[in-house]
Amino acid sequence: MTASDVRDFDPGDGRLSTPSTTRPSAWSADVRRPTAALPPLAPDRGQATPDWFEVVEHFREGLVVCDADGVVRHVSPVAERLLPEVTPGELLSAAGVPGLSQGVPGGFTHRERRLTARQVPLSGARCCWYVEDVTDSVSRADALLAERARSAFLAVVGDKLGNPLHPDRAAAAVVRLAVPTLAEVAVLVLAPRGGRARWWRATRTDDEAPTVDSGVLGGGELPSAIADGLTGAEPHAVDWLVEQAVDAGWLPGLAGTESAARVVPLPGRDAPVGVLLVARRATRWYDDDDVELVRAFAARAGAALTTALLYRDQAEVADTLQASLLPVEPVEATGVQWGTAYRPAQAGLRIGGDFYGSHRLTDGGSVFFLGDVSGKGVEAAVFTGQLRQCLQALHRLESNPARLLRLLNDALLETTQAHGQGRFATIVLGVARPERDGGLTLTMAGGGHLPPLVLRASGEVETVPLRGMLIGVVPDPRVGEVTVRLAPGETCLLYSDGVTEARGGRRGDELFGPERLVTALTGCQRMPAPALAERVEQVTCDWLAQGDHDDIAVLALRAAGVSGRSVRHLHSVPAGIDQTEETDA
Amino acid sequence: MTAATATTDLGEAYSGYLDHLAEADEYAATDLAIGLLDAGVPAERVLLDLVAPAQAEVGERWARNEWSVAQEHAATHISEQVVAAVSAHVKPRPTGGRVVVACMDGEWHALPPRLVAEVLRLRGWQVTFLGASVPAAHLVSYLHRYDAHAVALACALPMRLPYAHRMIEACRRSDVPVVVGGRGFGADGRWARRLGVAWAPDAPSAAELIADERALRAAPPARLAHLADDEYASLVRRRGELIDSALAELRERVPSARAYTAAQLDATVSDLGHIVDFLAAAVYVDDASLFTEFVEWLSGILGSRGVPAGAVVLPLEHYAAALRDFPRAARTLALGCAALPGASR
Repeated sequence: MTASDVRDFDPGDGRLSTPSTTRPSAWSADVRRPTAALPPLAPDRGQATPDWFEVVEHFREGLVVCDADGVVRHVSPVAERLLPEVTPGELLSAAGVPGLSQGVPGGFTHRERRLTARQVPLSGARCCWYVEDVTDSVSRADALLAERARSAFLAVVGDKLGNPLHPDRAAAAVVRLAVPTLAEVAVLVLAPRGGRARWWRATRTDDEAPTVDSGVLGGGELPSAIADGLTGAEPHAVDWLVEQAVDAGWLPGLAGTESAARVVPLPGRDAPVGVLLVARRATRWYDDDDVELVRAFAARAGAALTTALLYRDQAEVADTLQASLLPVEPVEATGVQWGTAYRPAQAGLRIGGDFYGSHRLTDGGSVFFLGDVSGKGVEAAVFTGQLRQCLQALHRLESNPARLLRLLNDALLETTQAHGQGRFATIVLGVARPERDGGLTLTMAGGGHLPPLVLRASGEVETVPLRGMLIGVVPDPRVGEVTVRLAPGETCLLYSDGVTEARGGRRGDELFGPERLVTALTGCQRMPAPALAERVEQVTCDWLAQGDHDDIAVLALRAAGVSGRSVRHLHSVPAGIDQTEETDA
Repeated sequence: MTAATATTDLGEAYSGYLDHLAEADEYAATDLAIGLLDAGVPAERVLLDLVAPAQAEVGERWARNEWSVAQEHAATHISEQVVAAVSAHVKPRPTGGRVVVACMDGEWHALPPRLVAEVLRLRGWQVTFLGASVPAAHLVSYLHRYDAHAVALACALPMRLPYAHRMIEACRRSDVPVVVGGRGFGADGRWARRLGVAWAPDAPSAAELIADERALRAAPPARLAHLADDEYASLVRRRGELIDSALAELRERVPSARAYTAAQLDATVSDLGHIVDFLAAAVYVDDASLFTEFVEWLSGILGSRGVPAGAVVLPLEHYAAALRDFPRAARTLALGCAALPGASR
């Protein structure tokens, strides 16, 4: 037996027995108290009767009580306000409220409010509908979801914008990421450099991926809202902003009257690095949360662009310096076909401690050299630069390789002692002179470097007996000297220890060694010098199998034969030297 | 030798070109190609209908053991010089953005991507060709320094696919779209789809794809969920151990292997390593056909050099026994054994 048996409007909730509104927040429509809690109410029932209406008026849920025929018998004031079409004395179904049909509890939208309804059967086949306005809590939940979506968006943005270090790439990424979450059209204008402002724009039609285009504007052609934005101001007068953007032809597919737009500056190191214009159809206006999101996006975009611009400036400097430290390809010389390979230990840096090069002599010959300085990376590269400059100057004074090497040694000793560097180098330095028959005579001096190899026309490989001491260490080093004659088609190969000391093999710790190099070159006498140098690089890298390595440098000189053309081979190469099991195709 | 080149018939020119390659005659080959250009043959046809098929034939001759590695390299070098000469002769005016073309790290087959690079150049792109075996770090720092509309990466050997994937991801992080090509991705590009990257079967389709930015960026997502089983990582970790034990068994069961010269031993170790690498790549893309195709190809290569198919069976069975706890690798090895000619299992 419950109070509802007596009172048509009893909600069936035992808590109503306490006629108090001081604890409304504790009310829970879902907690059905056992009817056993009710008995204390009974003695007061007569007295409490006039209070029920007051109590129900303060109740958060509205009540609609229907009789067995579905005719509305009572509507509480809250229910009246929420469901004005429900009239006592008429069928509930006649009111046409979507959520109040038999057996379908849940939420529905009615008169722009979010309502939930549940039906509780009463005695005598009657029933009561409890209707609650949950608009606020739903919108709180929606706001939470929206906040989560915004955080997720910003996380993706942070992830994607952190990587492109090229300013153009970063700018394109900024506009692409802004569409469609922030805008249907996003335009980024970078702060003008030299009176010209570069812009990027992403637009989206339908549900396809945004397309990005870009261009350049003169500083004077910027709409005033953009120009203001570049000074750091954020324009708020939204209407004329759209018109400016439409007039400038920036918003294809969007008409001025039905669009919403915002402009935000992208923070830079001091002044804004650029300005972002976002625009979309006015059906999705930019509310405060949206503007906050655009600002948060702009902060990340600004940081990414600033980093990219900073990187560009630094990289320009580094590139210029790097270019001066890269080995210069040998100059063309009569009767010589050059081949080179160069692979620095630090791939991203592209410079290292190995060097090679050549200079033409006035008598028709060429000075050539290949060497390796102590140390690795930038410092080593800078030292190779000094060394190459020394040689550039000294070869004009002295063309005998041994004497030239001693001069170089003196010059290096002076520099390293002056700077307290304690650096040294190994080098093979030679002079190549063309012969009448298309051959070459090589006179070489050794400064503690690996001895050169000569690939004979027979396909055999000889090691040139060339010794000597490191240069840059003692004042009068022992310098080895040797003369080698190359017949047309024969090749002399200079290489650095990055080749023979490459670690690889089964365990990745075995040295490549000179024997494997000789094996790899044997029988390759028909190869042009560039192909031979690349072959050495390739077998070394295959041996390394992606492992770390020292700088690798190769310089090959082939006697090109008369008239500058390679000799033609009239007989085929004897087979049998080939790597029969090499799985290379 | 240069007078016979005044022809526009590529079929006729082709056999002459092959002869020049066989003779390692760079100048005659170049003269022939330039002669075709002067006779009105479009540069793209000279590259794709003369140089490209000739290079394929060079590879075939190596595979049939008719040409040595040295001859193959010399011929390739000459074709590279011819491509450079054709490009210098035409001098196309760049109208498009920059496209970077490179070989994957560890990949030395530079001529096919070079042809792609020249076709793109002929079609107005500003092309940078970074060459053979480009380290990922070098490529990425290049992309950071010079913006690119797209990167075209070549991979001729499927065993490089795991590295290829790493390199593709590195480019993606720089927000540069990637298109890949080369036989390393499968004849139909199926492993490119597996890695989630746009693929082009040949130079003209690569050019079309690069011109369509939307298609470039609409690459399918990678399907590599199978990597969670760690089989690939374990294979890579155990590579040295697997080769060692396979070599030990080979020496035990094939007496002649004990008398190998240093060079023969290196070649054997290299072959055993390639088998592990191809197996690992097959496990990486979860496609046994990568491995079975390799086994068929390897037995063909060895067969043409007088090595019996049994030489391949032994390591396959050894690896299968060593890897019985790796279901995907073991299944792949079983299919590999079955693919060998004369396999009755």
